[in-house]
Amino acid sequence: MTAVYPPEHHLLRDLRLSFDHDADGRRSRARMPIVGELCTDLGHARAGALATLVDVVGGGLAAGAAAPGWIATADLTLHLVGGARPGSVVEARAEVLRAGRTTVVIEVALADELDRGIGIATMSFAVLPRRDTNPEIDRVRDSPSTMSTQDSRLARPLLDELGVQVRDAERGVIDVAVVDWSRNSMGAMQGGIVAAVADVAAETALRAATTEPLVVTDLQVTYLGFGRVGPVRSAVEVLGTGVGHGSARVELVDAGAENRLMTVVHAAATRDLT
Amino acid sequence: MNGFDDANAGRDVGRYLGVTMREAEELHLVGHAAVAPHLRGPAGGVRTGALLTMLDNVGGLGGGLAALPDGWVVSTNLVARVVALSHAGPLRIDSGLLRRGRNNVVTGVQIRDEGARDAIVASGVLTSAILVPETGPPPWDRPLVSQARTEPPVELPSIPEWLGVRAVERDAVEIDLAAAFRNPWGILHGGVVAMLVDLAAEYATGGGATTDVVIHFLAPNRVGPVRARVRALGRRTDGSVLRVEVRDEGAGRTTALAIVTCALAR
Repeated sequence: MTAVYPPEHHLLRDLRLSFDHDADGRRSRARMPIVGELCTDLGHARAGALATLVDVVGGGLAAGAAAPGWIATADLTLHLVGGARPGSVVEARAEVLRAGRTTVVIEVALADELDRGIGIATMSFAVLPRRDTNPEIDRVRDSPSTMSTQDSRLARPLLDELGVQVRDAERGVIDVAVVDWSRNSMGAMQGGIVAAVADVAAETALRAATTEPLVVTDLQVTYLGFGRVGPVRSAVEVLGTGVGHGSARVELVDAGAENRLMTVVHAAATRDLT
Repeated sequence: MNGFDDANAGRDVGRYLGVTMREAEELHLVGHAAVAPHLRGPAGGVRTGALLTMLDNVGGLGGGLAALPDGWVVSTNLVARVVALSHAGPLRIDSGLLRRGRNNVVTGVQIRDEGARDAIVASGVLTSAILVPETGPPPWDRPLVSQARTEPPVELPSIPEWLGVRAVERDAVEIDLAAAFRNPWGILHGGVVAMLVDLAAEYATGGGATTDVVIHFLAPNRVGPVRARVRALGRRTDGSVLRVEVRDEGAGRTTALAIVTCALAR
């Protein structure tokens, strides 16, 4: 049986993403309109939201590159150099750097509609044997395409939609439930949303440590296991702070699965994305 | 027995760094390195390229031990944040297993400055692919103990001198692929790639210090010269963000991609 993914009410539809792909399977592009619901209190798109865009375009491209095998995301990195404001559209331009027997590596350049550089991302994937439950890639490779419907949109700010609960700001302990709206095709929390949880946890702890309005600009996300049960719970070690910036190491566990370690993230935050 | 049939194969990089290692408990490796003069950079402490090589060295060995008896490992991906650029020393490098999958091993590695009340210096994650060498994985006595060098220490050249790094354009530096820089598989040591990336970033920014690195090792460097070319992506409070592409010019292919944040010289 082939799974239908994503379901009708889902993050990947509500982000109103659109895609197109080169015929040779080496490059894809995805566009995401920036709305206020995706932005930090400094007024530009949250790193975790952009990581979700990267995860979707990179994952789709890698799945094609790994065919007939399937993929598991091993890591995602994102470095931002510009702020994407509401009303703009961020385009993620993904390219296959390596497609080997066991790994696929993707580079993703982020730019706005004026071709201003927003940032750069990389992803690597482990190539796995295909299972019956993995989505058919041909279906999502029709180009151009979108997963959104006429009614798709974020009804609330992303963090409210995710139900982020801050338990201990100084230690960056937050809880986020695993819900159908943000599951991936394997039934676990979607990889970009995992990055968004780490983004919020790092931002919370670094703001508490510095009292500056820092926002996360860099994420180095290493995926170790799925978050299937929830809540996904974070813990943050602040590595260092300076004037206008800070960095942190974040661990995410699946609290409902005996606190199994899911993800390790290194994050950097600054206050000057423009 | 410790390691490969030829005990000297690919050991020059480790000896140059002067890292000693021991397995404190199963799959938990602890390394130590002095803040030696030849490793210091313009910021006063050990150059980030050398720190990255220590992460790769200790994390890679830890990953290799986790891959036994099925195979051994090659580095595929290194991410790290460096938060201290001046160091008292000695440095302690702790590597612990995060995940052992069918095809890869993930190790978390942290460097702390024992001479500065164990202050954190760098934190990173190394991902390695599991390979099965033709002659099988190298044998190791466990718990593992690895000494960097037994001969008396001598004055060693600085990293740029040792590598023989040269500027080839305004945004690129390169090195020849000398025998001393190869790992036991005969290809350029991943730590040397990291040192080259660091030096390229420093050169392109006029003396900046690398504080954040992502390196994807895409293909082996076998021929040389090996060139690192820098493209600036933008500037922030914490420095410049750079894209560094490494190519084996002799083989005509890209071998690594790095994204680097470089704190600018004051």
